[in-house]
Amino acid sequence: MNILIVEDEKNLALEIATFLGKEGYTIEHAWKKSSAAEKIFVNTYDFILLDLGLPDGDGFELLHQFKQLKDREDAVIILTARGDVEDRVKGLESGADDYLPKPFSLTELLARMHAIIRRKHKLEMNEVNIHHFILDIKNHKLSFEGQKISLTGKEFEIFNYLVLNKNRVISRINLTEHVWGDILEINSDSNFVDVHVKNLRKKLSVHAPIDWFETVRSIGYRINSTL
Amino acid sequence: MKLQLKLALYNTLTKVAIITLMGILILVSINRISVNHMHQRLIQKKNKLVTNLSSTAINDLLTQQKTFTDYNLLKEEYIILKEVKSNHQQKLKQHFSQETREIEGSQEEYQILSAEFNYQGKTYLLELGETMNTVGQLEHTISVFTFFILLAAVVLTLVSDLAFSKFLLAPFYQIIDQKLNKVNDPISFNYEPVKTTTEDFRILDQSISTLMNKITDLFLTEKEFIANVSHELLTPISILNTRLENLLNDEKLSVEGENKIFACLKTLNRLKSIINSLLLISKVENNQYKKPDTIVLKEMISEVYEEMEHRLAMMDLTFTIKLSQSYVFKGNRSLFHTLLMNIVNNAIKYNLPSGSVTIYDTFIGDNYALVIADTGQGMEVNQVSHAFQRFEKFQSEKEDSYGLGLSIVKSIAAFHELELEIDSETGKGTSVTIVFQKK
Repeated sequence: MNILIVEDEKNLALEIATFLGKEGYTIEHAWKKSSAAEKIFVNTYDFILLDLGLPDGDGFELLHQFKQLKDREDAVIILTARGDVEDRVKGLESGADDYLPKPFSLTELLARMHAIIRRKHKLEMNEVNIHHFILDIKNHKLSFEGQKISLTGKEFEIFNYLVLNKNRVISRINLTEHVWGDILEINSDSNFVDVHVKNLRKKLSVHAPIDWFETVRSIGYRINSTL
Repeated sequence: MKLQLKLALYNTLTKVAIITLMGILILVSINRISVNHMHQRLIQKKNKLVTNLSSTAINDLLTQQKTFTDYNLLKEEYIILKEVKSNHQQKLKQHFSQETREIEGSQEEYQILSAEFNYQGKTYLLELGETMNTVGQLEHTISVFTFFILLAAVVLTLVSDLAFSKFLLAPFYQIIDQKLNKVNDPISFNYEPVKTTTEDFRILDQSISTLMNKITDLFLTEKEFIANVSHELLTPISILNTRLENLLNDEKLSVEGENKIFACLKTLNRLKSIINSLLLISKVENNQYKKPDTIVLKEMISEVYEEMEHRLAMMDLTFTIKLSQSYVFKGNRSLFHTLLMNIVNNAIKYNLPSGSVTIYDTFIGDNYALVIADTGQGMEVNQVSHAFQRFEKFQSEKEDSYGLGLSIVKSIAAFHELELEIDSETGKGTSVTIVFQKK
């Protein structure tokens, strides 16, 4: 998959590229609006990660120009540190597929990208198998060897996020923010997520041992697919 | 009292005073003038009488009786003639007086000229009287007339003054209404001058516009500042955050290294939370949010409950919702959600194990109010008064508290024109009351 990162902050672009590169994506950079426009008009991408505040212009203008092009399915995710309240609405109305305010977590970015892929391309990857537990992401269902496991919305969301970021330690804060969104100070008290994880584990362990669902002490959780 | 009414009353009162004064002056002078005229007439009559006197006439008069009295049909005038003992050295007396006389049974006030004169060696006293009745009548007529003029003047002045001052002050109220009361957002201020020919109002209008211009400038500067701060602070955090995340993916990383990086991420998250909270408060206070949503309070509370369910379970708290009314209002959904979440979160966080959180509604006066009460540790009186201040932390053992939750609540409440009240007692609990303004 091809990704174009339009971001004037080179350090940030580099970190995103490193992370997504390991996920198997091909990355291109553009530091400015003008160079980004050139790339967009010549190549097609699966994802365009677009910063709004570019040195030679507004990201919205670029988005607008891009949307004039015909037969293009590139997904656009706006990444911005701009504090404007209306930017989010404006971004989505202008045809962006998602809007992620900075600072964001890379695992969250990955989760959003997966969601867009599922939505846009209707891929068959809607079912994920993890140690014989089958996650039906589209219908929010979980089953084990044909047996349905009933999960609450939050439990499914937590499991899905951990499975998506398997073999990575996901901190409680990261998990809380993904499931409950950014509600400021409230989420700083991220230990509450443990209650959900505890319930989730209880429901899973009925069917099979779940040593692969690891607790990383004082940090968070990891789903180990290599065990 | 309204200026309009004050002006009208002032005008009326001055007019009443002037007309009353004029009336009194006229009455007094009418009296004087009439009496003066009477005196002149009486002297003329006396002179005429004295010149036309003939001895026979006097004799005729006096032979019949010692005193001669005569009066006309309506008893408006009378005449008395009698002989008095003469004293030639003495000057002949002549004076005017006003006295009551009874003529044929009817008493009346007369202006009387008593004059002595000599005729054929004898001295006579002539008394000529003219009734004051006519003067009285005139005075009465003038008083009545004055009174009616006064009454008419009062009514007319009051009505016309009220109408005129209303017309005159219309631009003033228009300025107050359009340029001050209805202005929530200085950005969308209407600079078009209010139509008026009154210079003072034009000055007022211009002054408000100038002031608004300044406020708008400040507002825009603040908005720009918020955007800049936001960008300049959040971008480096963003870089650090992603860099640390990538570091975690390094397989050669030791457990200790991993722990340290997570600790860094946690601190970074704290920084991000504080910045975002401060930005949220600034944006709310900078009026960057709109109020497009119809908020059904009952639904909103259920949502908050669902979000908080796990926290309640963890603390083994009882959560009760008792709403008697179905209250709906216009506002910003996500902001109000944040407000409720913060209050409920506090009610949970500072509660005691197996305590309870109760949400109920009530009326304070005519205003609908929502109360969120907990059975927690409560606050002391001086803590309550500082509760809404930024970075105010009382329960310092809670390391995840930044002291911004209630500041956010305060600014969102102010944005929605809601009043907040906190009642708290140490050891018993805290209740936060949100008072909705009457629609």
